[in-house]
Amino acid sequence: MDSIIFSGVGKRYRSLWALRDVDATFRRGEVVMVIGPNGSGKTTLIKCLLGLVRPTTGSIQVEGQVIGPDPGYRRSIGYMPQISQFPPSLTIGQLLDMMRDVRGLTPASADDGLVEELGLAHQLDKRLGALSGGTRQKVSAVLAFRSRPRILVMDEPTAGLDPVSARTVLDRAAALRSEGGTVLITSHLLEEVEALADRIAYLQEGTLRFLLPLNDVLQRSGTDRLALALPKLLADPV
Amino acid sequence: MIMGKVLYYTLVDLARNRSVVAFAALVLAVSEGLFLVEADPVKALLSLVQVMLALVPLVSLILTVVYTYDTHEFTQLLAVQPIGRRAILGGRMGAMALALLVALLFGLGLPLTVHAPGTTSLVLLVAVVLLAWVHTALGTLIALLHRDKARGVGIALATWAGFVLVYDALLMALLFAFSDRPIEPLVLPIAALNPIDLARIAIMIRVDLAAMMGYSGAVYQHMLGSAPGIAVALTLMFAWIAWPTLAAFRVFRRKDL
Repeated sequence: MDSIIFSGVGKRYRSLWALRDVDATFRRGEVVMVIGPNGSGKTTLIKCLLGLVRPTTGSIQVEGQVIGPDPGYRRSIGYMPQISQFPPSLTIGQLLDMMRDVRGLTPASADDGLVEELGLAHQLDKRLGALSGGTRQKVSAVLAFRSRPRILVMDEPTAGLDPVSARTVLDRAAALRSEGGTVLITSHLLEEVEALADRIAYLQEGTLRFLLPLNDVLQRSGTDRLALALPKLLADPV
Repeated sequence: MIMGKVLYYTLVDLARNRSVVAFAALVLAVSEGLFLVEADPVKALLSLVQVMLALVPLVSLILTVVYTYDTHEFTQLLAVQPIGRRAILGGRMGAMALALLVALLFGLGLPLTVHAPGTTSLVLLVAVVLLAWVHTALGTLIALLHRDKARGVGIALATWAGFVLVYDALLMALLFAFSDRPIEPLVLPIAALNPIDLARIAIMIRVDLAAMMGYSGAVYQHMLGSAPGIAVALTLMFAWIAWPTLAAFRVFRRKDL
């Protein structure tokens, strides 16, 4: 069943098209890796989905609802940004309370499992400005999963995380998929995430070059690793 | 209410913000210092007016602009939650306005209450708080209109210099150029173009000291009388809070974050 549908989505910044005429469908119960070189439009694609950026052309449907001015559709989305900057004077606990209140969650409905799993439980009184980049990324992961989202968007989720924490976060993403959730991940660390991916969306210069099952990508290129498959596939367009 | 939640937690963050605390301490030090140095409270008050009318707009503008840029990623994180942008901006602007209010009540209100209690001090405090809010609104609008932090800070500084320096020079040039014509009716709308001048007019009409009132202040008092002159000046300052606030909401609603 379709979870997210991009129909002819394009985004122009002044004279530059960051995204051009993207048609893509993301289904429930799958993990899609969105990859491409720097400046290929990955972030713009995600921002369009999250409502941070208004598409210049086309439309996006999330669980049957066309994205518009109503922010309610974002109730089903969890987001883990690449760079986690929080108000430096708030504590971790205060930030978690704030985001719980803002999302209208109750202490009972919020999923705080990751607070324990990522070792944040004893750091709740620490100010966010005093945290390392890795710890801020853990907080970001907690926020993304906390509302039990049906759609999870992760931008370079393992950047800055220690291997154990990275594994924990990716396992959570896999669990969400098995529960019928849709997971979109952008990452440059292909090996780390490809084990999780069902399909690969490749963007180049704002255009979606292909959206294919991982197995197809590997078979067509005759290799068993995504990092080796991509150059072959791009030299021989799909 | 979501806006209230955003406001509350932003205020908690600002309460521990070093810049806000330093601003409150600076205002307190300047106020106390002037009252200690000058034996006559009225003279100290007049010096305080001159300092506050320059200092408060500058600090309010820069604080707001820098805070808005520095918390951009967090604003993005809020904007991907199921809440409207009006709640986000309203909460954040409200928190900054409240933080500056508390800083001024502490830094300026306390010394005024101790050394020069009375209506004049109250008008000074109200005018300065309104000035801080005007520049919070302007600072937010500037930061939303310009992506680059250095450019935003530069425009904020230029805005402040325009109000404090350029405006006076232009007004003087205008008076000189049209000295042979009755231009008093023009002075009212011209003074309304500068919130700092409006604050100065409101305070100086109250003090009723011709030497400090300036041309525009004298015209206000002459044409409107004391109490209505103060009321009109303060009301115009509310308009100066309203238009950049409404413009900031309009820009933020459509802005790509």
